[in-house]
Formats: sequence, structure tokens, C-alpha cells
Amino acid sequence: MPALVNAHRRVNLLVVGYRIRATSQKSLPFKCCNTADSGLLVGRWIPGHNSAVVLAVIHYPFIPGQVKKYLSELQSQTQVDLTVLGSWSMPKEGQEGMDSFLKDLSTIFPQKCWLQLSREIGKRGFTCQVVQNNGRLLQEREQKNGDDKIILIHYDQRKVMLSQLHPVQDVGQKSDVEASELRLVFQTVAQSQPLFFLDKYDDGPLKLSHWQSEGREASIIAELLKQASVPVCIFLTWLLSLWHWLCSFRILHLPPVLFISSKLSTCVQSVYRAVHFRTVFSPKKAATHVEFMRKANIFVSFLVDIALGLLLISWLYRENRISKLADTLVPVADRVAKELQELLEWLMGAPAGLKMNRALDQVLGRFFLYHIHLWISYIHLMSPFIERILWYVGLSACLGLTFALSVLSDIVALLTFHIYCFYVYGARLYCLTIYGLSSLWRLFRGKKWNVLRQRVDSCSYDLDQLFIGTLLFTILLFLLPTTALYYLVFTLLRLVVVLFQGVIHLSVDFINSFPLFAIGLRICRPYRLAEGVKFNVLCQEPGTPLHLMMEINPLKCSSVLQCYRTPTYSCYPKDSWAGLCKKLFVGELIYPWKQKTDKTD
Amino acid sequence: MGADSGPGAPAAVPWRKVLYERQPFPDNYVDRRFLEELRRNIRVRQYRYWAVVRETGLIAQQVSCVAVFFTLWSYMEQGELVPSAVLWVCLGCALLGYGLYEILGGFCVRERTRLADLQSATIFLAFTFGFSPVLKTLTESVSTDTVHAMSAVMLLAHLVSFPYAQPSPPGSLSLNAALFGSVCLASRLPGALHTFTMLSCALLVFALWPCLLHRVRERAEWSFPWAAVLVCLAGVGGLGSLWPEGALLLSLALLTLTLVCPLLLVHLQRHKDNIHGPWDEAEIREDLSRFLN
Repeated sequence: MPALVNAHRRVNLLVVGYRIRATSQKSLPFKCCNTADSGLLVGRWIPGHNSAVVLAVIHYPFIPGQVKKYLSELQSQTQVDLTVLGSWSMPKEGQEGMDSFLKDLSTIFPQKCWLQLSREIGKRGFTCQVVQNNGRLLQEREQKNGDDKIILIHYDQRKVMLSQLHPVQDVGQKSDVEASELRLVFQTVAQSQPLFFLDKYDDGPLKLSHWQSEGREASIIAELLKQASVPVCIFLTWLLSLWHWLCSFRILHLPPVLFISSKLSTCVQSVYRAVHFRTVFSPKKAATHVEFMRKANIFVSFLVDIALGLLLISWLYRENRISKLADTLVPVADRVAKELQELLEWLMGAPAGLKMNRALDQVLGRFFLYHIHLWISYIHLMSPFIERILWYVGLSACLGLTFALSVLSDIVALLTFHIYCFYVYGARLYCLTIYGLSSLWRLFRGKKWNVLRQRVDSCSYDLDQLFIGTLLFTILLFLLPTTALYYLVFTLLRLVVVLFQGVIHLSVDFINSFPLFAIGLRICRPYRLAEGVKFNVLCQEPGTPLHLMMEINPLKCSSVLQCYRTPTYSCYPKDSWAGLCKKLFVGELIYPWKQKTDKTD
Repeated sequence: MGADSGPGAPAAVPWRKVLYERQPFPDNYVDRRFLEELRRNIRVRQYRYWAVVRETGLIAQQVSCVAVFFTLWSYMEQGELVPSAVLWVCLGCALLGYGLYEILGGFCVRERTRLADLQSATIFLAFTFGFSPVLKTLTESVSTDTVHAMSAVMLLAHLVSFPYAQPSPPGSLSLNAALFGSVCLASRLPGALHTFTMLSCALLVFALWPCLLHRVRERAEWSFPWAAVLVCLAGVGGLGSLWPEGALLLSLALLTLTLVCPLLLVHLQRHKDNIHGPWDEAEIREDLSRFLN
């Protein structure tokens, strides 16, 4: 790819780059920028490639010593090795003899190669000559061989300065892979920002031309916000530390409290948000691009969350909806309990003509019916307080829509707690049956499980072991249909509840992790997130080098999502379908939406 | 590929039976000493007819045991036998058998103490008595045909997998299959006590009787045929009181088993054709435990 890049923006800058390679194209930049006066080209040679980036033009009159001083100041400030690349000549009346003056400049600023760009009146393209150390014109030699060519590439300086090339590499990390030419170019322009602070209205000894030479643009509101944000951040960080101090009380670290708080998704969500706030409200400025994007994403999604929550509150508290909700809650719970009772009566009969063991059937059925009776009494006890509780709980939606959804998920979990209990009883019973059956089946055949070798070995059992084992095997085998049916019914009920909770958790996760700021940036300012570049041919006249225009290729939306997704306590099911089916068959308790902690982030 | 007849077989260099040297013969060449170490039928036993008939007595008596058990069950199901009476008879038989076992053993050093035996007996009785109400309701909802089919299959499995060569500790699969079949049958009886009685009978017939019989064979070889004949007669007689055609079938089966099968075995020995040679798996004959010290 042709190396050099030049920048110019809204017309006015001329940059040239050239590249010498034995048998390949040399690149030169060019484009518009035909109004800059003659002067010195300032830029950087890209190490390792035969290319150069031109950043600015220093006009007459200048003192070479001051130029060198200024350049060394900038070098120490930006860590970019800026040098004088060559000369740019724009023919004007009253400035004849400039060409020879420009050629003599190469002795003052000693370089390995000296570029000489010039614009001729009447031609669109520039010409470029490369002079080597020994003073020979390279181009002459080239014209003889016809090998080396120079290509000029024009680029928009402001866009390249603000853009970030993906995949993002850490600045501090020393990559073993050499950075590509394009990456070096982007880095050079981004790091040379102090170079662009001098505009043409400055009264310094040097006059520069670059994209900002008409004057710096800034917005008052943005500046005010920046100044105001520091004390606000400090105050919020203090509030957060107060909250952390409250949470570190001993009484909140007792095992039962810890256990309950790990199960309630509201607590998990609030902990997660607290971690986020610590990131967002820290008074330090974001060092890298990734940190900045993370902060911005969290902040924007938090604002959107609060806005949606306030919308929900305004809808919920209008027209007395809360009391209507509370009034329907108790009858709904009653209805659910009645349905469960009918289901159990059906199971205690002969459901679907299956052969159940009557005695066990009756025992299990009566046990579960008693539980439901307890649950209904509990709900009726609570019914006078439900409206008040709901009113206060609904207020918590002002902390965000995710909060409201977490509270809803917890309410559903509490209301269906009896279904969870039944599921656990049924699953444990079934699991015991299956485990016992598999072990006794091995005894039936005269084998046993060798734990050391993890295989089945033959074993000579005693008479009493054989006798009791066979009796138990028979009993478990004939009781299997009954336990399996109860397990099946309660597992299905539990799965319905789990599915509903899973949908809520997925939506909370989505709101938490969606990078709104990054997507907004991609839509409104696509050049900020760059995936690569593309070139258009600007001018292709014989006698002048090829001129190309470089445009930034923005990152695809799917890559934006993948790159900038905020990591959450991921809520995805941790078992594959096959693993889930196996667990269901064996009778293990399933928790498909288990949340993992942030430690793995 | 005949010996010494292949083309290009120079007689100057003798052929050696090695593969790690390059020889002027083709790879699949063999000489006249091919297969001279082959031996046929060196381990064929000469069976004598009446000895074999004597041994088949064990199989016949086991079949008759199953018939005896079935008879008991039928009578209990029809209600002609009172469970308590059967229980006392079982107890008496058990004590008698235990005494006989001790006498034949000669009061020598036993591997199990009497206390351990008492413990085992207590566990059996307690468990069976405790679980008999549960066992009774197990097959309530299963149809009669299924229960009968299951029991038949299980008792057949018991007969097939019985360790006839070494019956003293009864084999796991055979005992378990017999107990499973008897539980299936016992759960069809009208009361919990019936179930308990049936299971005790099953224990006696399938678990304890083979041990006693084995002891009898070891110590008093002469009485074994008489014991077998007695059991067979009891089986046929019991079945005959219920179902005469069944008794006829049973006696036919027993006669075939005892008389015809040994004849076949002896007669077919001359068709045996086993080959042995140095390619067989090595068998360790001497006692290598001297290397362990």
C-alpha cells in the first residue's frame, strides 16, 4: 500500500509523502491545498517504510535556528520525532528565485532525503523531486530505470487526528508485531496535536499552515461542562465511599444475609451499578481510548436507564394503578394455589391411566397439599400490607428501569416460592430413586463401582447384602413411575417460572451492556471509529505523480457492538442443551440462569 | 506352497525360521517341518456315561426346586395353606438344615461365628417383616399377565445363571433373579403375612438349600443321588397334585435332562477337533509366590 499520507483539511494543506522502494510504486500525496505559500514541510518519516507524513508547512520568513528549537520542543512534548522533510514551492509573482533558495535549504537541514514539492500554474497536480544526500536528483535516475515511482496521498487531518484505528492496541504495550504503516500514520497525526495549536493569528516567530490555521474552534458549553465536572465527580465519589462504608457493616456480612443477597437479583444489580459508578465518577481523566469509551457508554446507558425508569413511574402512579395492581395480586395468588390443588388431586387419582402406587401417591399428594394450604394462609396474612409495600417498591424505579425489572423478578421469585420448594422435593426424591436404582442394578448383576479406577468391577457379595439389595431394588423399581411423574410435573412448572425470570434477566442484561454511546458515535461521527481506509484517484496526469485521496472506512456496526459491549454479570445459561437434558434425566437441580460474579471480567 | 517345491529355492543355504535376516527364500516359504508341532485333542476327557448322569442330578434337582416353590405359592394363593403353619414348618426345616450342616462340617474351625449367623438371620427376618406391607402393594396396579410373565422370566434366568460348578456361595445374578421373581409372585398373595412367609420360603429354597446340598456332596458323596431323586419326586408330585399335565411335562423334561443329554454329550465327543501348538497362550503352572518374599 502506498505509504505516505498527507493531510489537508478543507483545502489548504499540502502534504507530500514519498516513498522509495526498489521496484514498487512510490506514493505521494496531493490534493487541493493549493493556497499555502511556499515554505518548509514539517512531518515525520515513518520508520521501517519508505514513507513520510507531512503535517504542516512553515512559511517565510523564518530563522532556521528557531525552527530547530521549536521542533525539538515539540518532540519532547509529543514524543513524535518531527523533522523538516523538504520544501514546498508555490509560484507567485515577485518571488522568482525561490526555487534555488529552496534547494539551498537542504544544506541547512541535513536529511538523508530531501523532498521538493512544487506547484505549477495551469497544472492540477504537483511535481515531486527527491534529492539524496549526495545531491543527486533521484528522479533522474528513476526516469532512466522507470522503476521507482512516487505516489501522493491526501487525507483529512482533523478526521485522522480524532479517529481511532481498530483493533485497538494498547499504547503502553510493546507489541511484538510491528505496527502497520497505516497505524503509524494514525498514531503520528493523533500524537502531534500540540503542533496544531499554533494558528496564523499567533504572534510567535513562526508561521504555520495546517488544518487549524484559521483559528481554533471550541464551544463554550463544552468548556463549562468540563470545568464543572471535576467537583461534581469528587462529590459523587465521596457519596460512593459513604455507601461502601455503610455496606461494610459487620451485620451485613453474616452468612444468611450474604446468601439471601446473592439470590436476590436486586442486590446483585445494585452492586453491579456501584462498581460502574466508581469507574464513571472517578476524577481521573480516561487515559486510553478504551477506558474513555467504557466510561462514556456506562454514563449514557445509565442516563437512558434513569429516563426510562422515570417514564415508568409516571405511568405507574397515574390513575391509581398501584392499588389496582395490589387488588389483583391476592386473587391471582389464590387462583394459582387452587390450580395447583386441582393438579395434585388429579395426580392422586390415576392420571392418564398410568400405573401409580396408591400408597405412595396418597402420601406425596397429601404432603404437597398441606404445603399449599400453608402458603395460602401466609398470603392472606400479608394481604392488608401489600398495597403499601407495592407503593414504596414502585418508587425504586426512579433508580432506573433495570432496577424495576430486577424488583419484578424478585417479586415473581417470592410469589412462586412454593413451586420452587415442590420442585426441590420432587427432584431430590427422584434423584435418590435413580441413584439407588443404578447402584442396586449393579448389585443385581454381581458388580460394583470401583471408585479408584472409575469403572465397574465384579464383586462377590455376602448373602445378606444380596438379599437386602434385591428387596430394595424391587421396591425402588416399582415405585419409580410414581416419583417420576411427580418430578416431571413439578419440573415443568419450575421451568415455566425460570423461563419468565430468564426473559426479565436477559432484558436487564441487554440494557446494561448495550454500548449506546459507541453506536451513537458510529452513526453521527463515523470517522471516529475507523476500521481501515479507502483511496480515490484524484489526478493522474502524465508527467506528475499519481494523486490519491484517502478516506476513512468506518467500523461495521456489528464490530462496534462486539468491541464496546460492557461486560456484565453474564446471564447466559451455562449448560448446553445436552447437558441440561442429562441433568433433568438424572434429577439434578438445575439453575440455568446462574449469574457469574465479576471476578472473571 | 509346498515345502521345498517353490521355484527359486536354492538348496545350498538351509532355510531358517527367522524373519530378521534376509534369506534367499520368499517371505512365505515353509519347509517340510511345517506344522510338525501341531497336536490334536490332547486335553479331551473321556466321559463315562453313568458319572455324567450322576452329575446332571444337580441340574435336575434345581429345576425341581423351582417346581416345589411354585407349588407352595399356588397353594397359598388358593388359600389352602395357612401362612403361620407354613412359617413354623419353614423354621423347623431351617433349624434341621442348620444342624445337618454343622454335623457334616464336623465341628471344625468355621469362618463365620454363630453370632454372625444369628445376626444375619435377624436381619433377614426383620427386613422382610418390615417391608412386607410395602412389598404387598408393589404390583397392585400391574396386570396379572405381566406379573406372571416377569416371574417366569426371572426364574428362568435363575436356572440359566446358576453356578452349577461351584454352588456353595450362590451366584449374585441367580439369587437376585430368583428373589425378584419370588417378590413379584409374593406380592399377589392376599395378606402381608403371606408375603412374609413366601419370602422366607424363597430364601430357604434358593439361598440356603444349595449350600447344604454342596456340603452333603462334599462329605457324604453316596447320599447325593438319593437327595436329588427325593427332590425331583417332590417336585413332580407337588406339581401333579395341582396340574397333572404339568407333572407329566416336568417328568419328561427331567428324564431328558438326566438320561438323554449325557448320552448326547458322550456320543458327540468323537466329533471334537481341537488343535494345540506352541502358538497357544502360555499357562503358568508353577507357584510364583516364592518371588514375592
